[in-house]
Amino acid sequence: MVSDDVLRTHLQELRRGTVVVASLVALRRPDYGYALLQRLTGHGFPVDANTLYPLLRRLEEQGLLTSEWNTEESRPRKFYRTSDSGEQVLRRLLADLAAVQTSLTTLIEGAPR
Amino acid sequence: MTSLTDRYLDATLRSVPTGRREEIATELRASIGDMVDGRIADGIDAATAERDVLTELGNPAQLAARYTDRRLQLIGPEYYLAWQRLLIVLLSTIPAIVGVLMGLLEATVADNAAGAIGEGIVAAFTVAVQIAFWVTLVFAVLERLGTPLNLPEWSVDQLPEHPTERGVTLTDVCASIVFLCLFIAFLPWQHFQSVVGPDGERLPILDPALWTFWLPLLLVVLLASVALEIAKYRARRWTWSLVGGNAVLNLAFAVPAIWLLLDDRLLNPEFVDRFAWLRDGGLDTVARISVVAIVVIILWDIAESVVKARRSAR
Repeated sequence: MVSDDVLRTHLQELRRGTVVVASLVALRRPDYGYALLQRLTGHGFPVDANTLYPLLRRLEEQGLLTSEWNTEESRPRKFYRTSDSGEQVLRRLLADLAAVQTSLTTLIEGAPR
Repeated sequence: MTSLTDRYLDATLRSVPTGRREEIATELRASIGDMVDGRIADGIDAATAERDVLTELGNPAQLAARYTDRRLQLIGPEYYLAWQRLLIVLLSTIPAIVGVLMGLLEATVADNAAGAIGEGIVAAFTVAVQIAFWVTLVFAVLERLGTPLNLPEWSVDQLPEHPTERGVTLTDVCASIVFLCLFIAFLPWQHFQSVVGPDGERLPILDPALWTFWLPLLLVVLLASVALEIAKYRARRWTWSLVGGNAVLNLAFAVPAIWLLLDDRLLNPEFVDRFAWLRDGGLDTVARISVVAIVVIILWDIAESVVKARRSAR
């Protein structure tokens, strides 16, 4: 039996890149940090707050997200939205994710059990 | 009283560049507020909720590093191998050389033979610590600046020629040569510089009569041993001719040394007279221990060379 630590590391590695993809998809509809965290968790992308908040800033610096401050409510919130170049990158990422899935499927089907 | 959140924000923003501090502060404060509200809505009291949220966000220094994309490592994988290699090369040579030089200076110029070994060890240690510190510091700064090292790309041509384990390492060869040089330096030093007696009179330790033939012979043998070490390093492994040469040199040193020791001709008689315990039978003990030590060392050295030659010949 594989130890829990080994399993956890591999799962983490597998999940790491998907947080970016999921965030870019989710932020086609503008949202702020905590609400995005809730949405992602609700859709089966559990992500740590201390990972997501810095990630959003990094994606913004890379120009994949744009942001706007909303000061109408009781506390000022920064709303992020997937930018045009973010959308382009997202398409590539989704295509690649699909390609990985396809390759894996053919590999599984082709391999003798 | 400042709240826990204020203190947390303060601790996080301390290591974030000032230009972005305010924006991150406002956003992070709102996010923390949202998370706390979320927990309060789940029926947790406000104080516990705040504590839980800050605990979940974790160490402020770590969070700040994520915001600024700073790596939490002294020397990363890009620089590690270059750092390690440089450190090994420097540490395996310079401290030993400096230690020997300082020891010789202490023994000759400062006329303090007894303190020479200690002086040499202290100097070698100090130099080693300094090298390790400064090399590491430079690499840590490079890591932070992201300076490219522009080292040549690795290529297959760099692979060692013999896939077998290299029987001769640079460290071993350097250590042997340093030891041999120390020994070579000792022979003239003991003649001119050693100090015996309270009146500071200089007395050679070895019999000066031996300079007519035996001591020059030993010097030649020692110099030939240095040459053999260099040849061994260039050959990268023990060959059978090196094993033969090594055995001949070992015997050329050991046989005269043992013969002179057993014949009581090695030490200067005047030197022996100065020490009561040497006069009163101590000389025999010294000779016997020295002979045994020489025989053991020689046999060990020859056996080791044979074993390594056989291993690398496979």
